[in-house]
Amino acid sequence: MAGVSRQSRRDLLKVGALGAAASLAGPSIVRAAPKAMTMMHESSFIPPYDAFFKNKLAVAYEKATGIKINYEVVSVGSLLTRVTTTAENGSGPDMSTVGFNWAYLFDEKLIDVSDIAAEIGKEGGGWYDNAQEAVVVNGKWKAIPYANIGQLMNWRTDWFKEAGYEKFPDTWDELLEAGIKLKKNGHPFGFELGHGFGDNHGWLYPLLWSYGGREVEADGKTIVIDSDETARAIDYCRRLYKETMVEDCLGWTDVSNNKAFLSEQISCTNNAESILWLAKKDFPEMAKVIDQSQNPTGPKGRFHFLNVQAHAIFSHTPDKQAAKDFLRWLMKPENLGPWYDVAVTYYQPFLHKYDDAPMWNVDKRNIPYRDAVASAHLPGWPAPLSRAQVEVIAKFVVIDMFAQACAGKSTKDAIAEAKQKLTAIYKA
Amino acid sequence: MTVENRGWHVRFLKLWLPLGVSLIFALFPFYWMAITSLKTNQELYSRKLTPLYVHNPTLKHYIDLFTETSFLEWTWNTFVVAVISTAISLIFGAMLAYPLARIRFAGAALVSFAIAATYLVPQPLLFVPLADLINKLNLNDTLTSVILTYPTLLIPFCAWLLMGYFRTVPQELEDAARIDGASRLQTLIKVVLPLCGPGFISAGIFAFTLAQNEFLYALIFLTKTEVRTVPVGAIAELVKGDVFYWGQLMAAALLGSVPVAIIYSFFVEHYVAGLTAGSVKG
Repeated sequence: MAGVSRQSRRDLLKVGALGAAASLAGPSIVRAAPKAMTMMHESSFIPPYDAFFKNKLAVAYEKATGIKINYEVVSVGSLLTRVTTTAENGSGPDMSTVGFNWAYLFDEKLIDVSDIAAEIGKEGGGWYDNAQEAVVVNGKWKAIPYANIGQLMNWRTDWFKEAGYEKFPDTWDELLEAGIKLKKNGHPFGFELGHGFGDNHGWLYPLLWSYGGREVEADGKTIVIDSDETARAIDYCRRLYKETMVEDCLGWTDVSNNKAFLSEQISCTNNAESILWLAKKDFPEMAKVIDQSQNPTGPKGRFHFLNVQAHAIFSHTPDKQAAKDFLRWLMKPENLGPWYDVAVTYYQPFLHKYDDAPMWNVDKRNIPYRDAVASAHLPGWPAPLSRAQVEVIAKFVVIDMFAQACAGKSTKDAIAEAKQKLTAIYKA
Repeated sequence: MTVENRGWHVRFLKLWLPLGVSLIFALFPFYWMAITSLKTNQELYSRKLTPLYVHNPTLKHYIDLFTETSFLEWTWNTFVVAVISTAISLIFGAMLAYPLARIRFAGAALVSFAIAATYLVPQPLLFVPLADLINKLNLNDTLTSVILTYPTLLIPFCAWLLMGYFRTVPQELEDAARIDGASRLQTLIKVVLPLCGPGFISAGIFAFTLAQNEFLYALIFLTKTEVRTVPVGAIAELVKGDVFYWGQLMAAALLGSVPVAIIYSFFVEHYVAGLTAGSVKG
């Protein structure tokens, strides 16, 4: 990927070779293993996923090495606060899940894991290129990506069929056309345009990219939001909102579209797997007529939202090698594979070894999640991770640009305001 | 229209109607929590059924709350933390408030201002240094961590409320006690404090409620399920990604608010007296 500083395959092999050499020399170094280490995770949407780590993986590791792994679960939305406290104070859990751009945010507080990343990549059939977007900082892997939580189009097959669509529209224009018909039939769309944590970014950034729009160039400095491509994306978004959606999407957060979909208010939204998962549990009849598809394609291609989940080791950890050894063990196929299986594709691997894993056959409707990984990017793409990019996300600059246009602002004014905010942030 | 009838209408319009509206306004959230906790998930998401009452009541959410989470432990932890931190805050708050209300000394105004300023410092500014302290004391994941940190919010609050109340106690009563030979401390304990019951009750109830509802410190310092308080435990285990377990959340919220409601109902008269007395000059 252009602009993202990362290691070449040769570098990784070198590091891997050094790691192997070090491990051969290892037995001569006597090191007292820690009695326990703590791994911090955000409470999983799939409860058995947390239970599997706690009851199977941690137990197996203790049995094999004598090191107890405490599994600390933090509530959804609270992990960043806990990671901040842990990193700033230099004490607390030894390892944590990090997401989004946190590897950059806490760069100095996380240790370099490039050596084990190379080994894991080699063993796992190679990394997806974009996995590195979120975890490689200044050429060093600061976390080991273990999954993407993808965002796709969730739609009602029965209502689309009524409107004459046997399969999901392939382009944004076709989606608009379908949406107009479905709204006329009493089945509007509903896409988040508010200040939630994922479902807004999940479709608005891919929409912008698929029309060729960007907020900043790959150099991470040149603001390019003010372009014809951005204007076309905004004009499209405004039409999609006005002609296909329920009005209150402007104030939605991530929970709103799940509720609207499951209460049969809307026929299509952009979401992770949670809608289908909950429908299977509580609304089995509805689950039969739900499907999931990749985002539509635009003039410049098809894109998705990258939602990386990665494991990082804090620099305050007393025994860094022990923590690395654990991550290395965790990412071995015999441990990682069953853990993925428990969540049935909710967590999509970044290693090609799992492209044809049995979990993809459990429900064919989940396969688009696998296919979407390769075209997923972080907000701010194609620029590398930076503090400015983090601030743009935190202040919902791009989201608000689209939302304000849908609420009535002219395309020109919406872009001008976004440009002003981006300039202030990137120049600061 | 008879006089009695007119009287009934006036009474209805001036008393019962506003009272009824206020009651509905105050109790509707509890009603909403109660009916949501008794609905099936199918009913919760249904747009065809009237949402204002329960069509097919179920106790499943309560059963799940008690069997699949550590709700009872969280409730006990919350109670322990709230009671102890409130007690600590009332004792230190009274020790701070009395001299500021009664004794003239240099810098009293500055100290009063500092108390108000301390109370106004936002928690997000304090949690990182406090977390550092808690780590150094090795108190992470213990109830002691929040029992010690909550008073940083509660003591200034209690002191400020009690200062107003102490000023309402007539100075002559203290002077009489001093003339009879009581020391300053004896005057405080035997004369002033017994007269300030309502003030302590109102400060105590407020402090208890704040401690019971506190979220940020509990989130930072209490990460293990077994030591969590209700606000953090419920959010951590009943909100999964973009899916909220509404039934269990509402059951937890309803049960979590019951203790405070009971306390309020017992002390409501003293509580109101304490608030109003503290709001006027003595």
